Amino acid sequence: MQTHLELELEQIKIKIFEMADLSIEAIIDSIESLKNADITLANKVIEKDKLIDKLELDIDDECIKFLVTRQPAASDLRFVLAMLKINTDLERIGDLSTNIAKETIKIDGGALLKPLIDIPRMGEISVSMIKQSFDAITEKDVEKAKDVIKMDNELDELNLQIYRELFTYMGESTRHVSQCLSLILVAKALERIGDHIKNIAERSVYYIEGEDIRHKAVNKNMS
Amino acid sequence: MNNKITASDVCFYYGNNQAIKNINLAVEKNSVLALIGPSGCGKSTFLRCINRMNDIIPGTKITGEIKIDDESIYGQNFDVTNLRRRVGMVFQKSNPFPQSIFDNIAYGLKINGIKDKYEIERIVEHSLKSTALWDEVKDRLNKSAMGLSGGQQQRLCIARTIAVQPDVILMDEPASALDPISTQKIEELIQTLKENFTIMIVTHNMQQAARVSDYTAFFYMGELIEVNKTEIIFTKPDKEMTENYITGKFG
Repeated sequence: MQTHLELELEQIKIKIFEMADLSIEAIIDSIESLKNADITLANKVIEKDKLIDKLELDIDDECIKFLVTRQPAASDLRFVLAMLKINTDLERIGDLSTNIAKETIKIDGGALLKPLIDIPRMGEISVSMIKQSFDAITEKDVEKAKDVIKMDNELDELNLQIYRELFTYMGESTRHVSQCLSLILVAKALERIGDHIKNIAERSVYYIEGEDIRHKAVNKNMS
Repeated sequence: MNNKITASDVCFYYGNNQAIKNINLAVEKNSVLALIGPSGCGKSTFLRCINRMNDIIPGTKITGEIKIDDESIYGQNFDVTNLRRRVGMVFQKSNPFPQSIFDNIAYGLKINGIKDKYEIERIVEHSLKSTALWDEVKDRLNKSAMGLSGGQQQRLCIARTIAVQPDVILMDEPASALDPISTQKIEELIQTLKENFTIMIVTHNMQQAARVSDYTAFFYMGELIEVNKTEIIFTKPDKEMTENYITGKFG
């Protein structure tokens, strides 16, 4: 039988996983809306972000309550600390997805310069990064979490590639500038989403084995 | 590491019952070591080995070696009375003598041969100031110590302990019978005292161990499962058993 302490931890876990599902949905839908010029779907992404925001507040409350009442130690403490930070990252992912949706609304059904390939690819990578981070948490698999961190490089490269490509388009005709700027912002948003997922993976490693792998370069230089 | 106390292969028996099994542990000078573990795990027994308090229990036996400042305290011809001056002890229940506050502290000084009245007064004042009790009792030093509150009595016992200038202070759940404010005062005191003394404290209060100690040792069924810096024990202990105990999964 689960103790009350375990039930409280389980509650936090259920909510953070629910938030992860909503973030994945937000990324997928925002890119779908862009691809299909679907303004209704874009508005839905913006509307649903409120659910993510509410979950952020709920999870913060539950984590603080748990810290105050249970004064946890060891893996329980690491879990709550990691969830508090992952919570913030997921909320930011939700916000960045709404930024993408807002660009869809800005483009307002205008024909795209070319079929989108790299941007949906970035979306797919982001989604699989989130899934793998949460698999790592469930299975307490540090290697899985560390692989997510490596995957972020792919997003960075794609963002750079998209930027270069769109820069060329803008040079060709001033008519393309507005849409190119929108698409650059979308790619940038996806690159930032990748950074947040990288944070999530780093915090997963902290939860699983207590090792803080952030800012390795800084740690090495300072010590 | 500058070790004050070193225990090597220490085993302790109550008759045929082995209460402590092969403990190897070193305590750094001017540090606080917390001993944690479920009831009956041997932590208090181990604490009492450090000032040979267990000697007075019939039918007990100790093997292995405990050194304080590289001197084996169970060695032949070792002066136990002097050991108990060097290693003071504070218990769960405060136990002031049924005498005045002043005499409670002066007693240890007198039996240690200090006769100078002014010197005794100086040490009494200093001890009471060190335990943050001076301001509360300075106007009633000649009143009975039994009239003090539980928290004050416990601080008086600590003052009595430090008056004879020990090297080590052993504390066996010193705050478990006190209210939160008195507990906080004792914890503050431990932090201050470690500048001059080496402290070992047995506590069932996990947060207290985390707050006051530099190192924490986890005992289970007479064995030392793990000892490490307190910060590490409470964030990422090595052993699963430690993890389960401090997260409340057993014990």
